[in-house]
Amino acid sequence: MNRRMSMGMFLAIVVPLVVALVGLSLSQGYITVSFADLSRALAASLGWGEPLAEDQQTTIIAIRLPRILIAVFGGAALAVAGTIMQAVFRNPLASPEILGTAQGSALGATVAIALGWASVSTFWMPVSAVVGALIVTGLVYGIAGGTKGFSVASLLLAGIAMNTLVGALIALAISRLSYDDWGQGSQILFWLMGNLDSTRAADAAVVGVAMVVGIACVVPFLREMDLMTLKDEGASALGVNVVVVRSVLLLIACGLTALTVAFTGGIAFIGLVVPHMARLVVGPVHRKLVPCAAVLGSLMFVGSDYLCRVLFPDSGLRVGVVMSMLGAPFFLYLLVRIRRGQRL
Amino acid sequence: MTTVFARGLGYSYGAHRVLDAADLELDGGSMTLLAGRNGAGKSTLLGLLAGILRLQDGTVEFDGRSIQDLRVSDRARLVTLVPQDSDTSFEYTGREVVMMGRHPHIPRFGRPGPADFDAVQQALESTDAAEFADRNVQTLSGGELRRVHIARALATQAPVLLADEPTANLDLEHAVAILDLLRQLADRGHTVLLSSHDLNFMAPRCDQIALLHERCIRHLGSADAVLTDAVIAEVFGVQSAAPSGYFPRDFGPL
Repeated sequence: MNRRMSMGMFLAIVVPLVVALVGLSLSQGYITVSFADLSRALAASLGWGEPLAEDQQTTIIAIRLPRILIAVFGGAALAVAGTIMQAVFRNPLASPEILGTAQGSALGATVAIALGWASVSTFWMPVSAVVGALIVTGLVYGIAGGTKGFSVASLLLAGIAMNTLVGALIALAISRLSYDDWGQGSQILFWLMGNLDSTRAADAAVVGVAMVVGIACVVPFLREMDLMTLKDEGASALGVNVVVVRSVLLLIACGLTALTVAFTGGIAFIGLVVPHMARLVVGPVHRKLVPCAAVLGSLMFVGSDYLCRVLFPDSGLRVGVVMSMLGAPFFLYLLVRIRRGQRL
Repeated sequence: MTTVFARGLGYSYGAHRVLDAADLELDGGSMTLLAGRNGAGKSTLLGLLAGILRLQDGTVEFDGRSIQDLRVSDRARLVTLVPQDSDTSFEYTGREVVMMGRHPHIPRFGRPGPADFDAVQQALESTDAAEFADRNVQTLSGGELRRVHIARALATQAPVLLADEPTANLDLEHAVAILDLLRQLADRGHTVLLSSHDLNFMAPRCDQIALLHERCIRHLGSADAVLTDAVIAEVFGVQSAAPSGYFPRDFGPL
């Protein structure tokens, strides 16, 4: 018998943890306020009651709230994107990172910064990141076999090759910047490490809308995601239009990933490890897995941001670095599971 | 009962022509064995009949309705296929895998209802898979997994059932049980087409044999009529081991 936690129980545990962590993260930092003052500040931002002192009100509402909200929305978006990728590619090791989507976004963002588009308008950075993600993922998908079907090996090889190539192009773009352009160079480097420092309310709103729309678009396909984990023949025999469903889901995953990393920078491993963590607890059925992965992704992103901003404020840690430091050991644990003969 | 008509089927993988002007007619309530050499195109023919391969040449009709006019979900309620390999890399339970067979019956935003759970339980019991239905499929043996896959196809309740090597990986007891189950389905009005290389085992339980040779159905008829020494020699290039055409060695429950 498989022992699994029910989705309701999982959400009943994790959602309050996310809310608590958001509260802690909002109230703590260089300026720390009580929960009562935090409530006052939040109410005042909605037009109810008196605000706190200006520096406190500004710090909580204008600086911390956008970065914490983008972590909540972005964590959910990346976790759902990873869940989609693993189902579509029938491969528990697939993720937006491995298939080049995140790296494509990074290239797009790098080009926007290096060519100065990002400073012309805030509009160009996300657009460029989304275009980069779509091009690179499309190339990986096409090289691996595309609509004619693909093997896991060809998919991973195509992903590795494209990631290497895109990584080289990003390095080339940075190395071609002169000392006079060092500002752009450091902007790219901070972006690649994951950077929530300059998040604005509008950025959080864009990622929030992308997450809500993206997940809403996934909901009609939850059952098909289960069937997509069979081989194409099996899914098609049960009434799934494999080519259409695969294309739609990939588009959603690309959009979620690209729009998130365009504003958060390089955040690795959420898309890979969070679906696994959720799957280990609630099982692989996507009707339960997707919401659980989404809230767990939020918890992990907000937690990582809390760790580097509040617990180790002077360590120079970046949220993307914390993610990788947490994600890599879990990835190794998965490999040990495989070595012991357990499947993912 | 659903009659299947396939006319002039042709299919190529790139420049390699696998089927050419293949015709096949399956009566409702019949069980047909599709046989032929390795690479003869059996899986391709099953894929075309199941609608999972796009028709290149020819037509497939179910009671006069062209497969191309059917919506994907309607087609899946009408004809289903047990592929040779439709494993998953994830840790679903057997019951969850069989519930996937109910997909064509459940509305897009709907949840499985009592009828779906009943169909799944019935399919699991029919294939003797209920005892391990709640185990992780990654822990099942090849034979147990095969029974789960057949149960998934049964859960669709499609009147036309196609099976690619349905008894592969099964021990003799379960191979007999699965074949008897397919026979019972045919006797209850299902149209069953199964591919296999095991002529001795399959032929006695089938109403007709279709031999796929040189890209088309070269011989179609009862086992006695089709499995003659001359035909065996022509299609498989061997002398028949059976003195009277085919070797009707039958197996049944003890």
